[in-house]
Amino acid sequence: MMPVLGYWFGIAWLDAILRLAVIAGVMTVVVIFLTYAERKVIARVQQRLGPTRTGPAGLLQGVADALKLVLKEDLRPTTADRWVFELAPFMVFVPVFLTFVAVPFTRDLGVRFLSLGLFYIVAVSSLNIVGFIMAGWGSDNKYALLGGVRAAAQMISYEVPLVLTVLGVAMVASSLDIRVITERQDVVPYIVWQPLAFVVFIIAGLAEMNRTPFDIPVAESEVVGGPTVEYSGIRWSFFQLAEYSSLFVLSALGADLFLGGYIWPFGSNPPGWLQLILILVKTSFMILMIFWVRATFPRLRIDQLMSYCWKVLIPVTVAQLFFNGLVLVYRWPDILLLVFSGALLVGATAATAVAVRRAARRPRDAQAVRDRRLQYARGA
Amino acid sequence: MLGVLRSMLTTLSTTMRRPVTRQYPESHRPIPERERAFPLLLWDHGVDEPYCTGCQACERACPCKCMTVTMKDNPRQAEGTSKRRKIVDTFWIDYGRCMRCNICVEVCNFDAIAMNNTWTGIELSAYDRHDLVMDLDELLALSRAGGIVPWAEYVGEENQKLPPRAVQAARTLAGRGPA
Repeated sequence: MMPVLGYWFGIAWLDAILRLAVIAGVMTVVVIFLTYAERKVIARVQQRLGPTRTGPAGLLQGVADALKLVLKEDLRPTTADRWVFELAPFMVFVPVFLTFVAVPFTRDLGVRFLSLGLFYIVAVSSLNIVGFIMAGWGSDNKYALLGGVRAAAQMISYEVPLVLTVLGVAMVASSLDIRVITERQDVVPYIVWQPLAFVVFIIAGLAEMNRTPFDIPVAESEVVGGPTVEYSGIRWSFFQLAEYSSLFVLSALGADLFLGGYIWPFGSNPPGWLQLILILVKTSFMILMIFWVRATFPRLRIDQLMSYCWKVLIPVTVAQLFFNGLVLVYRWPDILLLVFSGALLVGATAATAVAVRRAARRPRDAQAVRDRRLQYARGA
Repeated sequence: MLGVLRSMLTTLSTTMRRPVTRQYPESHRPIPERERAFPLLLWDHGVDEPYCTGCQACERACPCKCMTVTMKDNPRQAEGTSKRRKIVDTFWIDYGRCMRCNICVEVCNFDAIAMNNTWTGIELSAYDRHDLVMDLDELLALSRAGGIVPWAEYVGEENQKLPPRAVQAARTLAGRGPA
């Protein structure tokens, strides 16, 4: 969040602490206003007004909510596993915090610029599965445990296509440094060469963040909030904080990787303020897309979710990697990247459509699903 | 799969529409003419005194006994400015007890009482229930200020066929004040 002009005060540990404090502050502010933005956007989709009373146009609603959460009593069930229960929110939050470190916002604005930044983000972002499982197990509550296991299944599955799409971009840019990847997009953003990767990135990202329509682990109507069911007050707010900051980080990352980040369409080195505006506009665009999706689609069933990941997303992303490799090794023209990726996107869409139609038309399958549910209900 | 795009378009189109929310305390919906809030007394603008003679017909008919009425000789009858021999002296209605049954309006021989069909008859919350006991001045204030067109006016003999809004429009066009 500050220019990398060497250490502040020239003291390494003080510099590190300052940077972490800045991230914590920025994250809190971002989360507060993202919750406000989400409520406003979803209200408009439903032809409501959303928050209007707290501050001008309801702008301080997030602040009020945050204050309320901080002041609320922090409860722990008597049968909970004390340390696992109390540490779980931080295990969810810290990985998101860590991903924030490596995302460049402009050429000079970022916390740390790592030459293996993409690899680092992929590595730390999947760690919060541990937190969800800890929350689910530590709560000593069957809904929480179910939610935690669902979270683990879903996030491990969707981590794979997410990594594969990011890898596709890294192959085209032949770098894992996010700044290098962004700056290779000064003429054409990678969404053009890798449309499939972009779409899969958003879908898998939604699943990684447990957002609708992939909010199965925290589904209110099924597992009453899943791993977070027993949490209240500041510990619950850490889950919230993690969810919205990962939304922000993922959107910023998507803007950097696919939409040309702070470079496109203003040539290779626009002035600093323009870079900041560009990245903010693109990040907001990604976030709005995600809100829009949330306002539109109902939740998937868990078997649909799993088969969609393993039968559709992973095969097509692997195929895309393969074709990328062919194009890059044999130095075929770049347009073939677009052709292959686009064809795969169309193919995956068509295949999904056909599968959905068939499933809808086969009453026998529906009957089988009902039977299986009955068996579960009877404890078979 | 086209359904996905179609549903996204649907939500986009609802986003473009105007929100239906009313910011209630700041903006009010119009109330129907037949709204039956609490009863109040009407002011005879022609003679400049209440219609009510204090005959206590409403008080006797009131099922929850929320009214108290007294009567006096009308001093203006002696002056010759009014034809009413008796006139209301004091009038209390406990809005906390009233159940808005409309019986007082039906039994009134002088069409002197009407159900309030404005927002003032609805937004009456008070910290003390004694504040809900209305005296004569409070009961007459709205009608005296011309703030109410009682529902009975809409269904007067000459207006039987007309829909209420047409009556109101005609009244406004004729430049006659309400009631």
